Amino acid sequence: MSETYDYSDLKDLPKIAEQILSLQSKSAFFIFNGPMGAGKTTLIKELCKQLGAEDLVSSPTYNIVNEYRTMEGKRICHFDFYRIEDKSELYDLGYEEYFYSDSICFVEWPEKVGNLLPSEHIAVNLSVERNRRSVSFEVINNK
Amino acid sequence: MANKSVVILGIESSCDDTSASVIRDGVVLSNVIANQDVHTKYGGVVPELASRAHQQNIVPVVYQALAQAKVKKTDIDAIAFTRGPGLMGSLLVGTSFAKAYAMALNIPLIEVNHMHAHIMALFAKETNEDFTHPSFPFICLTVSGGHTQLVKVSDHLTLEVLGQTIDDAAGEAFDKSAKILGLDYPGGPLIDKHAQNGDPLRFKFTHPKAPDYNYSFSGFKTGILYFIRDEMEKNDQFINENLNDICASIQHTIIGILFKKLNKVVADTNIKEVGLVGGVAANSGLRDALKQQEKIGWKTHIPKFPYCTDNAAMIAITAYYKYLNNEFTNQAISAKARYAI
Repeated sequence: MSETYDYSDLKDLPKIAEQILSLQSKSAFFIFNGPMGAGKTTLIKELCKQLGAEDLVSSPTYNIVNEYRTMEGKRICHFDFYRIEDKSELYDLGYEEYFYSDSICFVEWPEKVGNLLPSEHIAVNLSVERNRRSVSFEVINNK
Repeated sequence: MANKSVVILGIESSCDDTSASVIRDGVVLSNVIANQDVHTKYGGVVPELASRAHQQNIVPVVYQALAQAKVKKTDIDAIAFTRGPGLMGSLLVGTSFAKAYAMALNIPLIEVNHMHAHIMALFAKETNEDFTHPSFPFICLTVSGGHTQLVKVSDHLTLEVLGQTIDDAAGEAFDKSAKILGLDYPGGPLIDKHAQNGDPLRFKFTHPKAPDYNYSFSGFKTGILYFIRDEMEKNDQFINENLNDICASIQHTIIGILFKKLNKVVADTNIKEVGLVGGVAANSGLRDALKQQEKIGWKTHIPKFPYCTDNAAMIAITAYYKYLNNEFTNQAISAKARYAI
């Protein structure tokens, strides 16, 4: 089951983010597929805002992972695997400590780490064509 | 006590590079960054990016830093480490090493904020002569792969962040633009190289809006992406035929974005003493642009290149001023991935 939203305006983003967050009961692990410039970081900023993260949400490309806290103190881990060249680097990162903790995970460039992703997760797909952007999302269960 | 010299060992492991440095009374005696040299000497290879690499690097790097400085372990008065911000797995290596070393040698421990340290690189000196540094207060623009900040520095230990990026860092804007052009990652230095022979005014790119003294580069990146895509549809040789002009225009735009807010801070605070630090401070266009401002009365400061990119000397220097101010920490300290100045 996948839902698709088209939007041309950033004003529509909060509504889409709300829909995505409603899937939290299914899984707190969200992956974001889409090319550079598709709006992955922008969407994650909105999700963090709605979760009440007071920290500044910025791109983790350099740091690989940024951590924020929701108002209730829950940890949000924001990953960007753009710079990852080999899956073994994820082991070096201690990724299990992040993936399988009681944290909300947002992952950009998930294709870089392939099958290390948890079998259950929410896939958010972003695409952009001319000025039309669309977001679709679905619950993935590979168990 | 007043006449005794102070020797500090600094450790930096916040992201990709492992580094150790020894300074005596603020003078840098050694600043070793793990690279192929260290490994040729001690065996092994350097993985591109791996927290585990820090574990393999840290002991040889510290030994080399001590050897180059001709300092014995027992000469060290305090050990300093990067507490954050950075990658947790990487920070833990430096933090744990420093704590263990301090405990074994029974010497004080000093924690350092990486972003504070970048600024303190302006106080790096290799001799006691010809030491020029900013006078307080000054404004500092920190630009690197992961950070972009405007900071007001009132003294060695008093800083106030006036603005920062709300999305991508300036270094990331360089690197991702380079990627769009098909240049290797990290492509910032390549853009700089091609820009030297290009026309900076040939192409116009978006200046994204950000509130107050903050920065935004996300829209800029997307602008480049669309521009290149549209031009390549018309002419698939567009990049090849115009690479120098594209790079020069990209560089010109990023510098323009950086200066817009920097100029505003200088005007609003009337502080004309300005520092430029961080890895992107190596960009020749940015350095020239800052130097140009001397014509309108600014006093500008940029650290020597080895102190711009991530390095342990800046950690040790920051710690030196903390040492003088008796700012020590204890064994209960832990690394902090998110750590504001």
